[in-house]
Amino acid sequence: MSSPRTVTAKASAKTSRAAKKSASDEGMSRADKVNFISAMMDGLPSKDAPAKTRTEKVARKASANKPLKVEILRKISAPVIVATPSNALSDEARKFAAAIEDKVASGDFDALTPEAVQALMTALCKFYSCNVEAGNKFAVVKDRHSITGTDAMITCGALLKAVDLQVFELGMWQSWSGL
Amino acid sequence: MAEQFIGKASEFKDGDRQIVRIGEDEIGIFRHEGQYYAYSNFCLHQGGPACEGLTIANVEERLRPDKTSMGLHFTDSMNFVCPWHGYEYDMKTGCHVKDKSIKLRKYDVVTKGNDVYVVA
Repeated sequence: MSSPRTVTAKASAKTSRAAKKSASDEGMSRADKVNFISAMMDGLPSKDAPAKTRTEKVARKASANKPLKVEILRKISAPVIVATPSNALSDEARKFAAAIEDKVASGDFDALTPEAVQALMTALCKFYSCNVEAGNKFAVVKDRHSITGTDAMITCGALLKAVDLQVFELGMWQSWSGL
Repeated sequence: MAEQFIGKASEFKDGDRQIVRIGEDEIGIFRHEGQYYAYSNFCLHQGGPACEGLTIANVEERLRPDKTSMGLHFTDSMNFVCPWHGYEYDMKTGCHVKDKSIKLRKYDVVTKGNDVYVVA
């Protein structure tokens, strides 16, 4: 006994063979064959809906190939770095900084004694704040990739602790001073 | 897919970005180390403007053989971060830095002389 699916498949194959036979036997033109196959594939158009004309088909194809509208929404420029003229002390400081960076990269954390680090931090902290208070504001590090967020938080936290300040006091002072 | 003109190469400096709408798509075009990269501007997390946030080098923690930390360091590869919730994507591939299966749709960028085109 055949299953309903098998019966449907057999019926479908029979219909298809019959359709092919009738199309080849009756001496149809090429256009008629194309229309016949289209009708088999897409179904017959309803009486209400007019068949698509060739003009409509060409128009639809043309709109598909039409160039898309390009609209520039925003331009985001890279930050501009203005170089300032150097001097002997600055050159020396850069060389020293590069030497320290090399030590950090190689994992040699004992290259400087704590006393030497304290002396450097103290001097740089004073030098930077004097410049800012004098109106000579510049970024404390060269760019966003100079130090990690962890580096910044550890150092900021240590500096605040060294002078017994809390984070809320920093926030309050910043809102008052605008610095 | 057709080449869409988006600007002149001379107007793109290294590190510059441009957000364009092409048809229904919104695309972010980056110029990084002389190369162009273009990605969908819709973050795969919640649809934020993925290409408009911070660009930042990838951070990695270096370890000694005994697994103690040598600290966090920036690597040479660059990422861009969605400003909404911080989804971070690799500039060269568009993959999320943690989960490589999360990948922004990438568009090809073609330069012809001084003209820059996105294939979209």
